[in-house]
Amino acid sequence: MTDSTAPFIRLTGISKSFPGVRALDNVSLDINAGEVHSLTGENGSGKSTLAKIVNGSHQPDAGTIEIDGVPMVITKPSRALELGIVSISQELTLAPSLSVAENIFLGRMPQTRWGTVDWDRCVRDTQAVLDDLRVHVSPHTMVRDLSLELQQEVEIARAISTKARLLILDEATSSLSEAATDRLLEIVEEQRDRGTGVLMISHRMPELYRSCSVASVLRDGRLMGTVPLPETPEGDLVRLMVGRDLDDYFGTRDVTPDTVALKVTDLHTLDGALLPTSFEVRRGEILGVAGLVGSGKAELGMALGGAIPAEGSIEVAGRKVTITNPRQAIGSGIGYVPDDRKGQAILPNRSVAENFALAWRGTLSKLGVLRIGQEAKLVRDGMTRYGVVAANVNVKISTLSGGNQQKVVLGRTFARGCDVFVLSEPTRGIDVGSKSQVYALLQEQVSAGAAVVLISSELPEILGLADRVIVFHRGSVHAELDAEGLDEETVAAVAVSGHPQTTAA
Amino acid sequence: MTLLDKDPVLPAEPTPADAARTRRRLRLSLGRYTGVVVALAAVCVYLALTQPIFLSWGNITNIVASNSVMLLLALGATFVIISGGIDLSSASALSATGMVLGLALQAGVPAWVAIASPILAGLVIGLVQGVLISYVKISMIVVTLGFMSILASFALIVNSGATISVYGTPGFEPIYEFVNGSVGPVPLLMIFDAVVILAAAFVLRYTTFGRSLFAMGSNPEAARLNGINTAMVVLFVFLIAGLAAGLAGMVSVGRLTGAAAASDPTVLMTAIAAVLIGGTAFTGGEGGVLGTVIGVLFLGVIQNGMTLSEIPAFWQGTVNGTILILAVGIAVLRDRGIRLRRKAITTKVG
Repeated sequence: MTDSTAPFIRLTGISKSFPGVRALDNVSLDINAGEVHSLTGENGSGKSTLAKIVNGSHQPDAGTIEIDGVPMVITKPSRALELGIVSISQELTLAPSLSVAENIFLGRMPQTRWGTVDWDRCVRDTQAVLDDLRVHVSPHTMVRDLSLELQQEVEIARAISTKARLLILDEATSSLSEAATDRLLEIVEEQRDRGTGVLMISHRMPELYRSCSVASVLRDGRLMGTVPLPETPEGDLVRLMVGRDLDDYFGTRDVTPDTVALKVTDLHTLDGALLPTSFEVRRGEILGVAGLVGSGKAELGMALGGAIPAEGSIEVAGRKVTITNPRQAIGSGIGYVPDDRKGQAILPNRSVAENFALAWRGTLSKLGVLRIGQEAKLVRDGMTRYGVVAANVNVKISTLSGGNQQKVVLGRTFARGCDVFVLSEPTRGIDVGSKSQVYALLQEQVSAGAAVVLISSELPEILGLADRVIVFHRGSVHAELDAEGLDEETVAAVAVSGHPQTTAA
Repeated sequence: MTLLDKDPVLPAEPTPADAARTRRRLRLSLGRYTGVVVALAAVCVYLALTQPIFLSWGNITNIVASNSVMLLLALGATFVIISGGIDLSSASALSATGMVLGLALQAGVPAWVAIASPILAGLVIGLVQGVLISYVKISMIVVTLGFMSILASFALIVNSGATISVYGTPGFEPIYEFVNGSVGPVPLLMIFDAVVILAAAFVLRYTTFGRSLFAMGSNPEAARLNGINTAMVVLFVFLIAGLAAGLAGMVSVGRLTGAAAASDPTVLMTAIAAVLIGGTAFTGGEGGVLGTVIGVLFLGVIQNGMTLSEIPAFWQGTVNGTILILAVGIAVLRDRGIRLRRKAITTKVG
């Protein structure tokens, strides 16, 4: 693809490592003005890292960036903004206690000639941008009073209002409804026609085929290829992304679901985040729980783990249990792994051994004094059993890769020998190799008779592992589906709209 | 346009890199106290050369005795800070428990009641603060700030701001003996300090409570989700801090042969500084008793050296503050240095 004119941005040989993970390995790609370039690949393949290098959040370890043919070092996000590179990410970056107008002009408030803020112009310009995008909110509304979806649109409005030369959409559609996604894509196409380059990170096939003219596929941090769209068949694109037999990746188990291990009836939280929910999981069964961010699926996990207060009835192995705090959840035989590893699971500045030993808290002591020798032995056994790789058990857990940290967290939970495991996003932010090992551990536990509630935002994972899938939408279960032969579009349709679609969008 | 379609090579678990990093870490973390210990040694050498009296046994026991109160408060603060908290009330609690003991002695109670009174007072102070923080759920800063004020005021109220002299009261004899006596050449107070230090170190290292403390300081939510009764842990932490203040109150009265009504505003700062100089992280989850002992010794030796060198005591605060910022600053820079070096190595290898 040799153009006579230089591309807007050219990346050559970009590499980036994080402790324990090679996030990007010698990646080169061009993004032209007036083109929607898709960057796709599985979670953990390095897409977001690449986006963060382009927007100045990360510095590459090796490689060069050229803009309009001139080598550039994008030292920090504000430098990227000066160059006209604007990102919209899956995580919102709005200030909740400020108004829509203040958010849109955050850091670049229009000024009067006296040097004070020109509020009239701020509100007027905001209104113009919002009208342009057909977003019906008042510039004066406080952002925290808006729905998640409207917040996302404000974020988009902010990006558009900066007259970007390159717009990076990092999974920006993942929390949008179908209608809102449609509108965003229209905006993207409009911007493209005005000559803006767009880097669209997504693994949703319909979006790619609708808007993009070229797709670059990453896998394990390497560029697998850059192909034209929509000419390249979907099957080829998926093969580039996944590159392996999916059955192998997720592992297999040979077990027939047995007696009911977990029976939940009308479980709900008082704040309405989780509406009355009922379901059963059998021993030797994995129940997949899908849904968008904020749909209540995370709250289901937290309620079962005792992390948040909830009401309703819970039976574990036929016994009725009361769960008002995490201690009771553990005592009832529910092992919960929270979704936020760094924030809720690991003790970052403590050793691997201490992190692992949380599994036997209170049971490995005599009158409050620890049995150090016995504990050390159990920790060593556990690390071997759950495949944790660390130089020794006394290093701080924060020096391990995300995958090894997660194996410590899962290992210590499994080591409790619970009847039921509730795992929220168990493979978030870990590399593909570790994912596969986590799946194998999970299959092993289920084969041994555990019941698993697998809450995940990664549909391939749910479809590859679960026996049944329940789909959350706005706080309650909107579909219970047999995982056999289920496809991502069907689940995604319920997650987004609340009801199954007859035709996948 | 390249189409690579090989089987993916799963990235191997990063054993060699992890291992190498660990070796580096270990080597560096062996010297976790290096900075402070080297500085302490340097100061000692300087003082030994310039002030012949410095190394005399009399001076050494004097340093230990005059820093016992500080050691007790700093050990209490070590527990609080490791758990991720802060106790602003400890210096006021010292005055308050001292006054309780003074009043008890003045009232002519028997020795065992007198000895129990500051300890009980300390435990009650800790209990009330712990309950307010853990179960009423008022912020720790607010509660301890409030108690700092209340207890300082209490110490002034009970004897109208006057110091209580306890010399010659019937119950004081054993306390005086304990604080000033010795077994052979070794002061009783030094033995007592050693026992308290060992006990504190044991609790931190070898008990479930100690583990819970570090877990909470490192990540309170992870601690809670793993079944640690965090409210109870905070309550016990404050009981320990209260106990420490009570013991400190008793030692203080024993040394002064009286209870001072006015609290010394520098005591709180010095106790916390000693803990931080000793490498305990202000953010919690890291640290230990050994570091605090080194921190207390360091500040104590400096103070002693200043007295011997006849430097006005007004300079004490400037010196302590500078040492605190230097010690913590060096630790921060060293941590950052490790990270930078690690990054450079990763880049080169990768």
